[in-house]
Amino acid sequence: MELKRYLKKHFKFEEFRPGQEETIESVLKGKHTISMLPTGTGKSLCYQLPGYLVDGPVLIVSPLLSLMQDQVEQMMAMGEKRVIALNSFLSPQQKAKALEELERFRFIFISPEMLGIESVLNRIRKVSVSLFVVDEAHCISQWGYDFRPDYLKLGEFREKLGQPLTLALTATASKEVRKDIAEKLHLGDWNEVVYSVDRPAISLALEFASTFQDKLDRTVELVKYLKGPGIIYFSSKKVAEQTAVHMREKGIKNAMAYHGGLDSESRVLIQQQFINGQLDVVCATSAFGMGINKENVRYVIHFHMPMQIESYLQEIGRAARDGRDSIAILIYSPGDEQLAYQLAEGELPDQYQIERLFAFIIDNQIVYKDLADRAEELSIICGFTEIQWRIVEDYLSNLEALDYKIDKQSLLQLIENRLEVKNTKIKKMLGWVHTKECKRKVILEMFGEELQERPRNCCISCGIDIDHYKETEPSSEQSLAAVDWKQELASILLMRERI
Amino acid sequence: MGITYLETVILSILKRINGERTIYSLFHLLQGKRSSQTIQDAHLYKITPYFHTYPSVTREGLEKMINRLQHRGLVEEIADTKVILTGKGEATLEQKLSEYRLPDYLNGWKYHQVTDSFWERLTLLIQVSSNLINHERSFIPVRNKRETLTWVKQYIKQQNEDRCKLAERLYGELTSALDNEKTKPELVVIRLTGYRKIGLTTMQAAEWIGLEPAHYHFEFLNCLHAMFDKVLENSHAYPLLNGLIKKAERNVPLTISTDKTYKLMQKGYTLEEIAAVRNLKQSTIEDHVVEIALSIKEFNIDHYVPLNKRESILQAAQRNSAKKLKQIKEQVTDASYFEIRLVLAKYGDVEWS
Ligand SMILES: [Zn+2]
Repeated sequence: MELKRYLKKHFKFEEFRPGQEETIESVLKGKHTISMLPTGTGKSLCYQLPGYLVDGPVLIVSPLLSLMQDQVEQMMAMGEKRVIALNSFLSPQQKAKALEELERFRFIFISPEMLGIESVLNRIRKVSVSLFVVDEAHCISQWGYDFRPDYLKLGEFREKLGQPLTLALTATASKEVRKDIAEKLHLGDWNEVVYSVDRPAISLALEFASTFQDKLDRTVELVKYLKGPGIIYFSSKKVAEQTAVHMREKGIKNAMAYHGGLDSESRVLIQQQFINGQLDVVCATSAFGMGINKENVRYVIHFHMPMQIESYLQEIGRAARDGRDSIAILIYSPGDEQLAYQLAEGELPDQYQIERLFAFIIDNQIVYKDLADRAEELSIICGFTEIQWRIVEDYLSNLEALDYKIDKQSLLQLIENRLEVKNTKIKKMLGWVHTKECKRKVILEMFGEELQERPRNCCISCGIDIDHYKETEPSSEQSLAAVDWKQELASILLMRERI
Repeated sequence: MGITYLETVILSILKRINGERTIYSLFHLLQGKRSSQTIQDAHLYKITPYFHTYPSVTREGLEKMINRLQHRGLVEEIADTKVILTGKGEATLEQKLSEYRLPDYLNGWKYHQVTDSFWERLTLLIQVSSNLINHERSFIPVRNKRETLTWVKQYIKQQNEDRCKLAERLYGELTSALDNEKTKPELVVIRLTGYRKIGLTTMQAAEWIGLEPAHYHFEFLNCLHAMFDKVLENSHAYPLLNGLIKKAERNVPLTISTDKTYKLMQKGYTLEEIAAVRNLKQSTIEDHVVEIALSIKEFNIDHYVPLNKRESILQAAQRNSAKKLKQIKEQVTDASYFEIRLVLAKYGDVEWS
């Protein structure tokens, strides 16, 4: 009862979403908590609400800069002024100023790298953090689908902060991953709040296309047929961009691409246009959707097979946030998994690169702790991408001993293991694509759950009535043809009665 | 034969340079590289309007484009990476320029440091004002730079005015400042975000208006720069817009190294002393002085070039109309290259030609 009053006061909501109340209660009782709530259920409320009830700031570690930025913006948009993001977006002066005024903030978002800076950590220690939140906590586990080496040190940082009360949040983490999270964070004793990964409002469809062209044609057909708005996910920026252009040529006017290659102005605008209902469909890479709240997404199409079932769930989870029936369609062509294998391999450094690296390290007698300073030089010499370099640097800079030959072997071994993990995930995903069993049941089993109830239009194996997802209303063609610019300006800046 | 808008721009710049500089000088110009060489060349060839107007240009992109032009017989290579227009190139350029004008108001050199920040501030100010008059407090700003957010917030506070009045004033200033028959204000207006209406991206705007993206980009800049001209000429008529233009940097600042040299000069050091103190070549210091002459209007060169020599140089330059330093040097034998460059830098745009 009590908590609901605060919910209304601070967030103007009447009811909690599944899992929120249990998580908050557990935290307020002072228990370390690992909370697994499906995407779209408002995980951030689980630390925002306690933020108003405890003394001392809430520190939120977040793995993705864009995600962090989105969250901060949303909180500021809701009128919360005492929120800051400490990350590499800040200039040195801004960073210094923020650190100086740190007491002023109720919510401090921080990137793992920033937390690794000793002076920053020491400063944070002084404000005595009341709640230490790890967002996307599955990133800490090697078994998680999105392992981030810089998350590994969070346990150590947490110790240095005096083992504050901790909340680990994730959308998808199997039992073993959850256990791993607790271990890596040195939690000792902890509570778990686990909600089903199942999203009964989302129908799970799968289609086969024999060629790329067939797939493209079918995508256009689906977009014209289905009730929108929708998102189409791609593994490649280029294909996302081309498909958006193709769709506009085919008469789907309000289609745009969204990916990391766009400038920041365009990214913000496209995201906002989509939320505001100005776009019917977005051709996106996985960068799209993190942290955006759009209630009425009606379909999610996967043009490429995701690299693991966890990403698939996260991405389809952007549909049906309002709880109304929606559909997820993965279009598979034979050989699609090759792209996934290539991407997995590309994220890791290869043997040749490691050989080059060690040849250079040995020639120049470089000690590992100096690696970070030579990031740029070494990346050029060995041709590392940013992700590849992070893996190498993180591994070596944590090594105590200095035996180049042994270290090289162990690094190569690590990479091989990592690749093995990724390939296994892809195989699992592929297995799910090909299974004739109930798709929903198979997913739930992967997460150690049992299917309780089969919803209508459950999945392609159980049968789907696609008409249920058909667009029935005539499209409202709102074209911008021939604007009178003064009138346009007036509509933006003058109050209605004055236009 | 069809050539793109961007190719027309490239051809018209190549024509100015006339094979005296490599194609990479063009890359540095469009990118807006702040080196003495680029800045001097921009002035020498009168291509300052294009300075920093296409920063997304890449070396490879430019090489490819010039290869294509060469392939189609519009330009020819006269030395390694130096090209001139062929007769066919001249004709094509002329024909294109009769179809559309290159932007009249474009002034990259003057405005390159204020354009982006002005646009960021303006779009945010308009979005905030529009939401305020509609009593909407929670919206996601279209700008995510903290610097811009705090600046605009502060700016609104500073105006100390009723929100409806503020929006109305903004409307009034914009309709007047943008109004110009030679530009297309709608290219700017469709990009604006207001209450429950999100503006278009560059790509969307270009597609909507039916221009190739580069063409749209230059027309858009043209429109903004035309507005800057108006606002700065008559700043008390446009107090709100004038305030959005970054003040401190309205005078083009110097490159860091040149700035150090300038500070030492102001303390009375000679160029030789500065070269020695800074451990730089004399010629580098001379480059700095030329850049200073280009950037700082009040900079007096009398101390470096005696009046009579200055006159001879200017006369020689006028007679030749070619920009070849060598020709001027042949006629004013007692002048050094440094003196010639310095005079041209100082008076090039005003008295010369
Ligand atoms: Zn089923």
